[in-house]
Amino acid sequence: MTLLSVSNLTKSFGGIVANDSVSFDLNEGDIYAVIGPNGAGKTTLFNLISGVLRPTSGSVQYAGRDITGLAQADIAALGVVRTYQLVQLFRQRTVEENVQIGFHLATRGGVGAALFRPGWVRRQERMVREKSRELLRLVGLESQAGLVADKLPYGQQRLLKIARAMAAGPKLLMLDEPAAGLDTQETSVLGDVIQRINDQGITIVLIEHDMNLVMRMATRITVLDFGKKIAEGTPVEVKVNPAVLAAYLGEAELE
Amino acid sequence: MTLRSTISAKPQVWATALAIAVAVALLAYVFGRGGYVVTVMGFAVIYGVFVTGLNLFMGYAGQASFGQNAFAALGGYGTAVLCADYGLEPIVALVLSATLSAVIALIVGYPTLRLRGHYLAMATFALGLITYELSIEQSGLTRGFMGFSGIPPLGLGRFQLLSERAQLAVFILIMLLGVWVARRLRGSRFGRALLAIGESEPAANALGIQVFRYKLVAFVIAAVYASVAGSMFAHFVGYISPEVFGLSMVTLSFTMLYVGGIGTLWGPIAGAVLVSFLPQLLRGFRDMQDIIYCLALIVILIFVPKGLASLWSLAVRRSDVPAER
Amino acid sequence: MIDTSIILQAVIDGAGVGLIYGLVGIGYCVIYNATGIVNFAQGVFVMLGGMLTYTLLTSLGLPMIVAVAIAIPLVGVVGVVIEWFIVKPMLVRNSPMFAIILATLAVQIMIERITIMTAGDQPRTFHEFTAGGPLRLGPVAVGYQLIWVLVCSVGLVLLLTLFFKYTRIGNAVRACAQNRDAAALLGIPVARMLAVSFALSAALGAIAGILITPSQYTAFNVGVPFGVSGFIAAIVGGFGSASGAFVGGIVLGVAQAVAIIIFGAGYKTVAALAVLLLVLLLFPSGLLGKRSEK
Repeated sequence: MTLLSVSNLTKSFGGIVANDSVSFDLNEGDIYAVIGPNGAGKTTLFNLISGVLRPTSGSVQYAGRDITGLAQADIAALGVVRTYQLVQLFRQRTVEENVQIGFHLATRGGVGAALFRPGWVRRQERMVREKSRELLRLVGLESQAGLVADKLPYGQQRLLKIARAMAAGPKLLMLDEPAAGLDTQETSVLGDVIQRINDQGITIVLIEHDMNLVMRMATRITVLDFGKKIAEGTPVEVKVNPAVLAAYLGEAELE
Repeated sequence: MTLRSTISAKPQVWATALAIAVAVALLAYVFGRGGYVVTVMGFAVIYGVFVTGLNLFMGYAGQASFGQNAFAALGGYGTAVLCADYGLEPIVALVLSATLSAVIALIVGYPTLRLRGHYLAMATFALGLITYELSIEQSGLTRGFMGFSGIPPLGLGRFQLLSERAQLAVFILIMLLGVWVARRLRGSRFGRALLAIGESEPAANALGIQVFRYKLVAFVIAAVYASVAGSMFAHFVGYISPEVFGLSMVTLSFTMLYVGGIGTLWGPIAGAVLVSFLPQLLRGFRDMQDIIYCLALIVILIFVPKGLASLWSLAVRRSDVPAER
Repeated sequence: MIDTSIILQAVIDGAGVGLIYGLVGIGYCVIYNATGIVNFAQGVFVMLGGMLTYTLLTSLGLPMIVAVAIAIPLVGVVGVVIEWFIVKPMLVRNSPMFAIILATLAVQIMIERITIMTAGDQPRTFHEFTAGGPLRLGPVAVGYQLIWVLVCSVGLVLLLTLFFKYTRIGNAVRACAQNRDAAALLGIPVARMLAVSFALSAALGAIAGILITPSQYTAFNVGVPFGVSGFIAAIVGGFGSASGAFVGGIVLGVAQAVAIIIFGAGYKTVAALAVLLLVLLLFPSGLLGKRSEK
């Protein structure tokens, strides 16, 4: 069943066309990868889907609903949650608090709720605590729950980011270069975590440069180059696609 | 609490016990001794309320206001005018003034809190200065720079807290209520959102936190604390003047916040008590006291920017783990 | 109905005060451009300029020119001391922006209190630079001191421009303003240049304070109003342009003078602050640009 359908999505900044009529469909349960050389328009595509940017033309359908041009928060509330390459962790807060803050959209209550704590607030808080623990277990950071996030090694910070995004209760999780800067060992752990999340029935779309990870994880791949989709298919199909090989010529990332 | 896994629980229990013991001993001394020690403690508690509110806005939400004295002045003059001129019940006057402060904070904060950096600093600074000037100029209401005297002590109906000791006891209860509220806020969805904003606005925004709204609410809450502190001051001394809520209130409160530890629950209170009692050696030299406060503040800002409280937890050292880009 | 000549006179006098605000505003810019810091103690230099000159004139009986020649460098030294003991250590430690602001605010109050303790809390003034006057131009009078203000302001801006354009130190300070790390790589002693900017800025403030004292007064607490007014002038000038700062200063000075006629002298500072808030709210993202978001 199609979960996300991107059709003819175009974004131009002044004269520069960052995304040129990009279309693809995402099925529920997919691990979908968007790859392409630097500057191919991958992050722009993510920004268009998640509502950070408004497309110049084209549309985004999510679960049968047109979400084109909706506000970021509204899209997130529908269950499309993403991580950002540039957005940081709350470094001076503990690992657990980072995840708990991630529950913001999935919970309710303001000052009044904080002061008077009626039954539903107490239940909600209990839920937040329990689910935070669960998420930390999911990404393998349970034993570091009380540590200040800043103290985590780089690879674990990345996992924490994913756990934090998971707290918002996504149906579709968008990961922007989750493996960037990680070593082989860390990347492999990351792959396991992504797989476990996917096993829970959460659809995943990721931008990634690490071809080993992409080839290992992805069910389908779209390749962008200069803002255009030049290929789509399974890892095996994409690997031998001449247009893809040409685009990557000299980048030596594709084996 | 959250550091449980890095620091073993034992020393924390001892530290808490020690802190409670010191607090009890201090209170026993203050109430036993009476006299000017009670006065000093009264000021400490009043400032404790003020700084606890400021801490919500600065320590938790990571914002900067250099003009909270404006709301203390509103509280102080509100109580003075309503009690002395209109004969209202102190508690009614306090609530009315605090409500007025909240409304004004909302109106003023709405445009102001959209500013950032130096602009936010200067705009909030201007807020305090405008209030100061107005409290001099609106002499029909405030009696001008000569000050407003004859404010009755705290009380209810015919029952008045005539002794400073009794007022202090009630003040401590008010302060504890203030800390309790801060604690409840801290450990909630609301508090977590504030902490998130304090660390990284873009990250908070990406998680769906309405950054501006939360900042505004925190500003209003801080204003209510400041206003209540102003009302308490008016009752305690029975006299207020524009100078009481002047610029030195700003640096004094920041000194307390930093001495005690910004962003902690009890730190601001400890800071308020410490900073109120230590310079008593220099009683009578108000200018000298201000100089010492400022000097202490500068030294702390340079060398221990998280406050003296952070010296306690040096066990958790900053590591050199690279931060996520 | 207020007489037009009163209004006209207010505009002239307001413009004179406005030039002073412009000078203070340029003082902010000099420091901001070199360090990225808004020095909240800027007004204190204005106060010190006036108070020191007064003290040198009265207690030592020095002639005006000598008093001024001593007071200006002395205030410059105060600027360097602030840079050396407070700003530099905080920059080195990467202190948050508002902590630095707070520290400079604390310096302001400290210097005010020291001034009260040593020179008293009474307002002081001294005679105009040139006796006589005022010049009569139709219905309005232009005091000689105002001409001094005008000449000195214009002269100072010219000198500053020449300094930044043609001297080695001036160029070095500008290089630091653009990129401190790159400047350091070029072998420019960045720390010394920061001190130079504080010295310059303090000296500018002192000159402003000396120029204004004869037509107003100086006292321990004039720093804050002058600091705020100078800040407004600097904002209008976009924290970089000297002529912009003067325009901002003059607009503010005139607005204040008119406000005094309408509301009375007590509302001078309130008027300035209201202008400040208006300017800030009209440019909410800030003319300071991205550097303000430290």
